[in-house]
Amino acid sequence: MNIYLLSILFCVAFIGFTVELIRRQKVAERYALLWLVLGLVMLIFSLFPRFLERVAAAVHIYYAPSLLFFIGFLFSLVFILHLTMVISKLHRKMTRLAQEVALLQEKLAEGGAKRGNTDRIG
Amino acid sequence: MKILVIIPAYNEEKSIQAVLQSVKQRHPKIDIAVINDGSSDQTSRKARETGLAHVIDLPVNLGIGGAVQTGYLFAHRNGYDVAIQIDADGQHDPAELDKVVQVIVNDEADCCVGSRFVQKTAYRSSISRRAGIQFFSWMIHMTVGKRITDPTSGFRAVNRKIIEVFANYYPDDYPEVEAVVLLERKGFRVKEISVEMLHRAAGKSSITPFKSLYYMIKVSLAVLMTRIRDVK
Repeated sequence: MNIYLLSILFCVAFIGFTVELIRRQKVAERYALLWLVLGLVMLIFSLFPRFLERVAAAVHIYYAPSLLFFIGFLFSLVFILHLTMVISKLHRKMTRLAQEVALLQEKLAEGGAKRGNTDRIG
Repeated sequence: MKILVIIPAYNEEKSIQAVLQSVKQRHPKIDIAVINDGSSDQTSRKARETGLAHVIDLPVNLGIGGAVQTGYLFAHRNGYDVAIQIDADGQHDPAELDKVVQVIVNDEADCCVGSRFVQKTAYRSSISRRAGIQFFSWMIHMTVGKRITDPTSGFRAVNRKIIEVFANYYPDDYPEVEAVVLLERKGFRVKEISVEMLHRAAGKSSITPFKSLYYMIKVSLAVLMTRIRDVK
């Protein structure tokens, strides 16, 4: 059992798991895509260690599997950044939704009371 | 002139009634909107009890930015000409309301900020608070060249144009400083006048030392971003 074999097994399991998550609609395709790409890239490098070694040598990394970890790390970084963007957008939308609900409730509660007419309040 | 006072409130049950009564007593013709930002206490009920204000209950806590923006949305949709923000803790004296409102009504400025520091007032705060405020003053001066002595003051009045601007976009975390920079960038007239402020009548401030540090870093970043962002 060496690191490449372990890596292949893990990548296959990871890709399979991600596909299953999509199938069961637990993760939307648009968010799962990056995970699939990562899994695929890792799998390719794990299946063809020579290729990995060549690329590693080209960037002066002496221990080839380090390149695998490095790629995994970079992808994770990109993915988390992507999620941060998604969350920011969700936050904005949620804020507006909450505001609209509150304003609607107030409008309902006021019935038809004229706005700005202080005599009618209370 | 339709004027609205926006009072964002988070767990201010102890002071909200006094504040509402105080505002209405002096300005019976001005409308008030209390924005209950998901309070866990009786703020909303107590506000409603007075019958003096529109009380808007946010379904979740949004923070001061989201809460205040709700007030501006209300102002915009109901055709108010002037909107004034004041705190629910009694720090802002309703007697000083006239001063900031007049500036807007007279069209001397688009936004009028009530400052504790333009002239010497009786207000005293901690060293770290003063340092923070001075830091933000400096930041605003560096980015848009404007001297604002009390940039974190929530005591401010704006006109219709700005009501619409804020209804569409209002900064989120700790928005007061960024809002001023935004208005400057958009070319609005921002004026500061001296007002007396009291100390918190009741309740606790939600600012802790760690939050202060986050506040400073986050607001600095927001101010810089507003400076380089396309704000049209």
